[in-house]
Amino acid sequence: MLKIKNLQASAGGKAILKGVDLTVNAGEVHAIMGPNGSGKSTLSYVLAGRDGYQVTGGSAEYEGKDLLAMAPEVRAREGVFLAFQYPVEIPGVSNKYFLKAAYNAVRKHRGEPEMDAGPFLKFVKEKAKSVEMDPAFLNRSVNEGFSGGEKKRNEILQLAVLEPKLALLDETDSGLDIDALKIVANGINKLRDPKRAVVLVTHYQRLLDYIVPDFVHVLSGGRIVKSGGKELALQLEKEGYGWIETEKVGA
Amino acid sequence: MTETLSGVEAFEADLQELQDRAPRSLSWLSAAREQAFAEFVKQGLPTLKTEGWRFTPASKIQKTPFEPSERPVVRGGFGGRALCPITFYRLVVHNGRVLPGGEGSTLSGLPAGVRVQSLSEILRDEPEALKAVLTHGFDKSGLPYGALAAALFSEGIVVKIGRHVRLDRPLNLLFATDDSEAGLPQAAHLRVLLLLEDGASAEIVTESVGGGRAPFWTNVLTQAVLGEGASLKHYRLQRENETGLQTAATLVEVGRSARYESHAFNFGGALVRHDLRVRLAGEGADCLLNGLALVRGEETVDHHTVVEHASVGGTTRELYKAVLDERGRFVFDGLVDVRPGAQKTDASVYNKNLLLSEDADIHTNPEFKILADDVSCKHGGAIGQLSGESMFYLRSRGIGESDARRMLVYAFGAEMIDRVGLEPLREALTAALYARMPEAAEEAA
Repeated sequence: MLKIKNLQASAGGKAILKGVDLTVNAGEVHAIMGPNGSGKSTLSYVLAGRDGYQVTGGSAEYEGKDLLAMAPEVRAREGVFLAFQYPVEIPGVSNKYFLKAAYNAVRKHRGEPEMDAGPFLKFVKEKAKSVEMDPAFLNRSVNEGFSGGEKKRNEILQLAVLEPKLALLDETDSGLDIDALKIVANGINKLRDPKRAVVLVTHYQRLLDYIVPDFVHVLSGGRIVKSGGKELALQLEKEGYGWIETEKVGA
Repeated sequence: MTETLSGVEAFEADLQELQDRAPRSLSWLSAAREQAFAEFVKQGLPTLKTEGWRFTPASKIQKTPFEPSERPVVRGGFGGRALCPITFYRLVVHNGRVLPGGEGSTLSGLPAGVRVQSLSEILRDEPEALKAVLTHGFDKSGLPYGALAAALFSEGIVVKIGRHVRLDRPLNLLFATDDSEAGLPQAAHLRVLLLLEDGASAEIVTESVGGGRAPFWTNVLTQAVLGEGASLKHYRLQRENETGLQTAATLVEVGRSARYESHAFNFGGALVRHDLRVRLAGEGADCLLNGLALVRGEETVDHHTVVEHASVGGTTRELYKAVLDERGRFVFDGLVDVRPGAQKTDASVYNKNLLLSEDADIHTNPEFKILADDVSCKHGGAIGQLSGESMFYLRSRGIGESDARRMLVYAFGAEMIDRVGLEPLREALTAALYARMPEAAEEAA
């Protein structure tokens, strides 16, 4: 589904990704872990198409197409979803209007008819229930005045509504208490499907207690320096990232 | 002939013609016109050097040789052109002429104690009823075109709401303009009187809709008087054609415990200059002044507001917003003048602007003059651009770039539309806001 080869990217003239290789197949859940400043968020943003990053080398192929050549909205319509570490507040745009616009943009792209306001409201209320979100949040402005946990839950609601093929979750667990974490994890687990893939970007192992990954990768210094199964996450939790740095130097 | 148009003399012939036609019995009115004209001559035409007009390209008016307005070639069709729904009471002024019922105006069923009439009709039938209000002078300083309207008005509207009467439905005063047969630039000078007696309440929507292609200059002087405990919600919707010009001076006197609300929406016109002067005359008088302008092309929208707190315990809440694209210009000058003794005044004045183009410009000046010591006064101004972060967030959810832009511009303006109490009007304003967005124009082209 996603083939990243030797991906290099910089921001503000500073090289951050220095040759990332990663292959994600349908049905798989990958966790990308790494110390602060290793390039985890940059990788998510580059894949989602945020301005301010220059791809200086390598490639990212999504379902056989050049992902990096697509506009951000086209990536989303093709089924790539980035759950933000810091979801953006948009005063004046109601959550339900925003969700409907996004949902219909995706449907239109797939050649499906757009959904009217009435049926959509029913649909989105069901989805809100599934992530244990009070429907009152649908009438509020996007993320405006939401707590950290409510914002993350709103990301998962969007995920549930848009049903992407490839979900990238950037530090979705940060700032969540254990109850919120379970709800968010549950929302992501519901999406697990042989046709979909999930990439979790996270600093801590905690989330992986609830979403068990098939593969764990360690990103360090702009490269994936180690890959393994879920046990790698536990090892990182126990021993920290220091031993990887050492191993790299020793290698 | 064109040379003299640059000066005040150009209007002398217009005044003379009005005076020649006036009946002898209205000598008091002729005198009032002379007086107003003298004031206009004294002030002269505003230029970029005139205080209060330094950012207003009034030359757009002065360079155009206007003819007095004539019958429009287009008739009717107001239902489709107005933002106000047909369910409101409506009085139409088309090219400066008040249309009778059946030709667009619908006033049947007005409650007892409410009068909505053309100025010419009252001057013909019972001129004495207007003598006091039309001869009563007002401070015309800084209002050269207001003075001109007082001198040259050819028509107008009088709305009178009696004591403790509530106007049961909103009233739409629709000012439509269209090309005349000659297709030349036209001008109309008009006067509107809104008189609310003690305890009266009304929602009045003055709306201008410019059709045709030739410039049409509407110069309107509005005076509103609110008696004790009266309430007026005054919606002012303005959409000229792209060569259209509007100069509007609105003077409001607010009595004890009375409340005046103004909601100004500017959606197009080469030059729009609004002067709004509210005097909170009685104790505990309130005003709420809202504005939203979408300015693009080579347009200018200019709001000069003055609120005079003349008595104790008055409240002012003022917020004007503007969205500027292309080479548009927005001017905001909002003064709150707290007079000696106007203690417990509570006032705020804000102006917030969204700049979509580097070629647009904004001149903003929220200001206080405070001569009382026990007051709460706040003011502020802001100029911002569309947030790149918000744009990316929307696009990352599949929403296209132009839709995302439109959504954010709408979100900026929606706050002002949300403050409109009339639901059908809110819907129409939302549609008008979308229709004014640059991408919408491109897509339609």
